[in-house]
Amino acid sequence: MDKLWVITAREYLERVRTRWFLFSTVFGPVFFAALMILPAIITRRTKASEDVARIVVLDATGREVGRRIADGLSVGMIGDTARTRVHELAASELAPAESTATKEIVRGALTGYLVLDSAALEGKPVRYAGRNASAEADMDMLRRVVRESLMEARLEMAGVARDQSSTLARTRVEFELERITDRGRGGSAKVSVIFALIIVVMLYMALMLYGQAVLRGVMEEKQTRVAEVVISSVPSWQLLGGKVIGVGAVGLTQLAVWIASGLLLLRYRQPLLDKLGVDAVPFTPPDVTVGMGLVLLLFFVAGYVFYSSLFAAVGAMVSSEQEAQQALMPIILLLVSSFVFFQPILSKPTSGLAHTLSWLPFSAPIVMPLRMAVIPIAGWEIAVSLISVAAGSYIAVWLAARIYRTGMLMYGKRPTMRELARWLRTA
Amino acid sequence: MPATTPAVEIQNAWKRYAGHVAVRDLSLTVPRGSVYGLLGPNGAGKTTTIRMLLNVIAPDEGTIRIFGEPNSKAGITDRVGYLPEERGLYRKMQVRRVLRFLAQLKGMSAANADRQIDGWLERLALKTPEKDWGEAKVDELSRGMQQKVQFIATLIHDPDLVILDEPFSGLDPINAQALKDIVIELRQRGKSVIFSTHLMDNAERICDSVCIIARGEKVLDGSMADVKAHHGGRHVAVVLSNGTPAGVPPILRDRTLVARCEDSNRMLEIELAPDASPQDLLTRLIGTGATIERFEIVRPSLHRIFLDRVGAAGVEEGMTGHG
Repeated sequence: MDKLWVITAREYLERVRTRWFLFSTVFGPVFFAALMILPAIITRRTKASEDVARIVVLDATGREVGRRIADGLSVGMIGDTARTRVHELAASELAPAESTATKEIVRGALTGYLVLDSAALEGKPVRYAGRNASAEADMDMLRRVVRESLMEARLEMAGVARDQSSTLARTRVEFELERITDRGRGGSAKVSVIFALIIVVMLYMALMLYGQAVLRGVMEEKQTRVAEVVISSVPSWQLLGGKVIGVGAVGLTQLAVWIASGLLLLRYRQPLLDKLGVDAVPFTPPDVTVGMGLVLLLFFVAGYVFYSSLFAAVGAMVSSEQEAQQALMPIILLLVSSFVFFQPILSKPTSGLAHTLSWLPFSAPIVMPLRMAVIPIAGWEIAVSLISVAAGSYIAVWLAARIYRTGMLMYGKRPTMRELARWLRTA
Repeated sequence: MPATTPAVEIQNAWKRYAGHVAVRDLSLTVPRGSVYGLLGPNGAGKTTTIRMLLNVIAPDEGTIRIFGEPNSKAGITDRVGYLPEERGLYRKMQVRRVLRFLAQLKGMSAANADRQIDGWLERLALKTPEKDWGEAKVDELSRGMQQKVQFIATLIHDPDLVILDEPFSGLDPINAQALKDIVIELRQRGKSVIFSTHLMDNAERICDSVCIIARGEKVLDGSMADVKAHHGGRHVAVVLSNGTPAGVPPILRDRTLVARCEDSNRMLEIELAPDASPQDLLTRLIGTGATIERFEIVRPSLHRIFLDRVGAAGVEEGMTGHG
């Protein structure tokens, strides 16, 4: 056991001393800072552009809807109603007017044109064509103004007085989104998505990076033949175990630095944003209890043991970098498969897919924390998931130790599946 | 522990792999305080034997004891130093840290290891008043210096049994000499050394006892003197000083006189026919007018014994690398 400690200590100290460790440990907080400050900068850009008013409205409703739209678009803008042109015309004149408008848009004189016929008043679709047809913010703005204008017109048709109709139609609804969990109110829904994203990306990157570090370490020991000297002094499982624990400890050190700096950043976010001259968006930090933190840690540790022992087994099987890349494919696919379902799971965290993936040992370390970040999960479900990952890890370690013991002393070509099966039986 | 306990005792060890048997019913005893040669062609099973001895791989059958203890006993390999055939160290690690690490794996404390490291670095000229290579990283060292570091790693914990697998392969002459000096010094201090090689000349000069294996099986073993005495045949070493007169080759082909002759250009190693006397041979050689520089009745060389007993068939094609 002393020797397992010696191997673990070497693994840890040699890695912490490298420049790469220093770099990636510093890079984490920079990444955090970007995550926190970029959204603030981006939200400034989600307002509609001024171009949205530079359109022509082809109005065949006969109820001055076009003029109302022009008024609506000028509100809060530069206040220049002349930017929006309104053509009131008969339904039969629409087609030629559209082709004229199209030419103007191509020439660059206009951004787009809007077609309103009498059917629009009955709730039928309204057509818009323009250069900014795919600009989300512009279309949101336009849609709102058109809706309000149509509603005004319809209210008047129903006999509401003109001055009342415009007030009624401009009923604004702004959603303040808030999550309610088992413990009561808990921050905004957007925050939990960002939080989930951070957790998933971090877990995925950590599993991938530290798994690869174990792989490289094993390959180095095999290629330089150091392994032969070491396992003539200690049982091979101690060399394997020391490496997995040592690299894992490096990972936890790094995560600890990242989390600490993340918390500091949260704390000093406001003054930091002020200094950068960015308007701070109200931001409620996700409220993570100690219990949840602990569960996350358990998932990370179990997932790490699972993947790193598989990576180690591959490292012991192969003799070159290229072989390693090939042999790694199945393992990388397992890891990636839990990551690519991020979107569907996030939007439907209670679906069958989400449930299944949070119980399978290879995807649970990523999917379960993801679900936990967005919805409350029953304690027993978390327990089942953890047990599944732990059992998976146990099997992975068992497999890896056997492949490792034989593989470390075999040079030359990569073993076939049949040879691997024999290693497992005889090791 | 009684002084008579052998350093190593292997009894009826077998190791089978998929298509072949690497070691077949091998038994051997390495006496304490001797230099023991494990000889055989490439692919004979030398490295497999050593790995079983070190408990790196388990034999399918048989028992292996080191200093009277089962080799699986915890801590017994702390008394063994091993220099593998394929050598390597952690490239990015500082020399001193590598040595400390390997010493700790053999059960030394870090402080004790550090004391030994300096002595060894100085002894092998890796630490001089101008430059301390112990502070450098392994991959900053030349190949020769890395080999020296590897010797230190093998010997730093003052092992009672030292196993050297093909130690001279890839060594420059200076390091080869340094290694021979170390082996001799170890023996003088009563340590046991196992020496695996396919180079018979080296083994002949260094080993007290030998075991020749081929195709996984023991061919013969015993002390050098016994092996030579039992091999039988009377051998004569002949050196002619000025070329070979025309009359000499027919004499060497006379099977009533010469059973076999190996011509190594400068020297002839002649095995006499069963009833022939060296006297007759000498008389007939002088009769050809040859000038005789050396005529000596000798023991057969290890090389000769090896070829006689293992033969060309012992060197299988394509079985290389993993002795």
